[in-house]
Amino acid sequence: MSKSIKDMGWDELVQGAALFSFEGEVDYEMSQVQPEDRNYAETNSRNAYVGDWRVEKPVFNKDFCIDCQFCWIYCPDTSIIARDKKMIGVDMDHCKGCGICVEVCPTNPKSLLMFNENTDNEEALEQWPEKSEEKGE
Amino acid sequence: MNSKVMDIKKIEVWDGNMAASQAFRQADVDVVAAYPITPSTPVVENYATFEANGYIDGEFVMVESEHAAMSACVGAAAAGGRVATATSSQGFALMVEVLYQAAGMRLPIVLAQVNRALAAPLNVNGDHSDMYLGRDSGWINVSTFSPQEVYDLTLCAFKIGEHLDVRLPVNINQDGFMSSHTAQNVRTLDDKTACDFIGPYQAVNAMLDFSKPVTHGVQTEEDWHFEHKAKQHDAMMRSRKVIDEVFAEFKALTGREYKAVESYGMEDAEVAIVAFGTTYETAKIVVDNLKKEGIKAGIISPRIFRPFPLEDIAAQLQHVKAIACMDRSAPGGSVGALYNEIAGALFNSPARPVLSNIIYGLGGRDMTVSTLTEIYKDLVKEAASGKLNGTIQRFVGVRGPELTYYNA
Amino acid sequence: MLEIRWHSRAGQGAVTGAKGLASVVAETGKEVQAFAFYGSAKRGASMTAYNRVDDKPILNHEKYMKPDYVFILDPALAFTDDFTANSKESTKYIITTHLSKAELIAQIPEIQGMEDRVFVLDCFGIALDTIGRAIPNTPMLGAFIKVSGMFEVAEFQESMKSVLGKLSQKIIDANMVAIERAYNEVN
Repeated sequence: MSKSIKDMGWDELVQGAALFSFEGEVDYEMSQVQPEDRNYAETNSRNAYVGDWRVEKPVFNKDFCIDCQFCWIYCPDTSIIARDKKMIGVDMDHCKGCGICVEVCPTNPKSLLMFNENTDNEEALEQWPEKSEEKGE
Repeated sequence: MNSKVMDIKKIEVWDGNMAASQAFRQADVDVVAAYPITPSTPVVENYATFEANGYIDGEFVMVESEHAAMSACVGAAAAGGRVATATSSQGFALMVEVLYQAAGMRLPIVLAQVNRALAAPLNVNGDHSDMYLGRDSGWINVSTFSPQEVYDLTLCAFKIGEHLDVRLPVNINQDGFMSSHTAQNVRTLDDKTACDFIGPYQAVNAMLDFSKPVTHGVQTEEDWHFEHKAKQHDAMMRSRKVIDEVFAEFKALTGREYKAVESYGMEDAEVAIVAFGTTYETAKIVVDNLKKEGIKAGIISPRIFRPFPLEDIAAQLQHVKAIACMDRSAPGGSVGALYNEIAGALFNSPARPVLSNIIYGLGGRDMTVSTLTEIYKDLVKEAASGKLNGTIQRFVGVRGPELTYYNA
Repeated sequence: MLEIRWHSRAGQGAVTGAKGLASVVAETGKEVQAFAFYGSAKRGASMTAYNRVDDKPILNHEKYMKPDYVFILDPALAFTDDFTANSKESTKYIITTHLSKAELIAQIPEIQGMEDRVFVLDCFGIALDTIGRAIPNTPMLGAFIKVSGMFEVAEFQESMKSVLGKLSQKIIDANMVAIERAYNEVN
């Protein structure tokens, strides 16, 4: 990789403050390459760690998940990790703890719930609620 | 080049608006997005007619305001196309926010700006209020004096702005009605010659280049804003070299010569005026008349308002004894902009001429041969006495009591 | 430098006429200028248009003019416009009217004693007869070439054909007749 943008003077920056998403040319089918294998540019927001913005975190309970992909679609930070249409978990480097994934989760009980950031995940799963009798939850 | 060639005469009788429309057509512009306003309406109307008659391969986009027009231009230019539009006055004012975006994003859009007064009071006639409004927007600003110059310099504008060392938007100013609606002989280039002169568009960081996905219009905050503005200013300052080169190339092609600073009679001038636009040409007549009377008069005009040719102007004014800087824009509580520019240019040079500021021609008020002659005769007195006849600033051609400000 | 001022109502074709004249004159190698004051005036409002013709490029952009010719395209404007403003001793006036020259001059004190410099014709009548609409601009040009002697009528008609190029053949032909009639009828 070339020089970091943090060390660049005015003469070295890309004119017009244009920011490229990837290093080098994209001469391949991007949709066939998993995010972790893509050659993101330094200035791509994927390289910005925002995990410490969270106060509450989503915990995923795969026992109830039906892989409907709602959370994957609605997550505003593309932080739901899915493979072959199967929900795997949450990208905790980019999740800001907004709770939208929990809101849209349609299962009963929910497959994603918000917990205090410092609650242990195993502990959280042990506290998982039973199926609710109330309709319209 | 557009697939359908227009048969035009070697000498056409075009007004400044038609000259701009034809230059746009010959430049094979990819996208024109515009919202017409007097007096630049015919630039867009003519272009739409060309499009309707099959002479335009590119897109013509009708939008709902001038803000939208310039926004569409920014989008199209960022996407990777050659882009142009036209406006005046209130429409230009509405574009201002996006003008800064275009310049900051380094998009070489060409704007045919037909200068008109800014309301209130409402007035469709020509003055330079709108040109002055845009002067710090980061656009290369070119002043033209006649329809011929509108044609020539609009062709040059594409070549200058799109040059890889420049990549800045270019504003070609012409005087509302005095140029825009005044038909005169215009020596033309055929479509191929004009298009070849400008050359093919070279996209830079185009959003439609899917091999290099790119974000335009980013947020930098304190971290990088200053560096980008520095880079933008540097590109503007260095554009002067490209401007000179393009003017030289244009002269080789047509024989018509343009310079960053235009001057007439300055070789031996003791008195001079500095002015933009059509006033320059009218003043040439006065300079000739006065030289016959033995008065050493001259006229000088920054052809390029931005990047401002400070050194060239200072050099040409070194031996002048009295100078009137003529601003055709309401100064809003100070001396006119041209006065400040000229004073600034001269301050670090040895010359100390008597320097006055004339506010004239607001809202299209006529600047006549006879008034210009009087202005020169006043300068002759100032040159002889070595001091101002009165105050630094005065209004010329306004009805009512004399209006003067600032004692020297 | 030859200078012309047109007095007209917006919509009567003075701007088209001035530009058309400029285009025809430019064909002869001369330098031309055509402009108008209209501001935001609407159809029917009084307006003026201007021509300058010279052998060298025209640099003058002032609106002020001491015309060599004044054209009045609307009969009523001869009574309401100050059409003799900024005139010279030699200024010639071509006025649209249904009146005879003597009748018109008798009613307008400003042009009394200028019989040799005032020319009249009925541009409206001619335009209605030939083109079918009261557009007085081409008849006025026909009268001008007669009064000025600047062109032969056939030569002028040829050049006007290219200026009118976008119109239908029928309208172009009618304009040619209008020019010829005006040329013959102006007195």
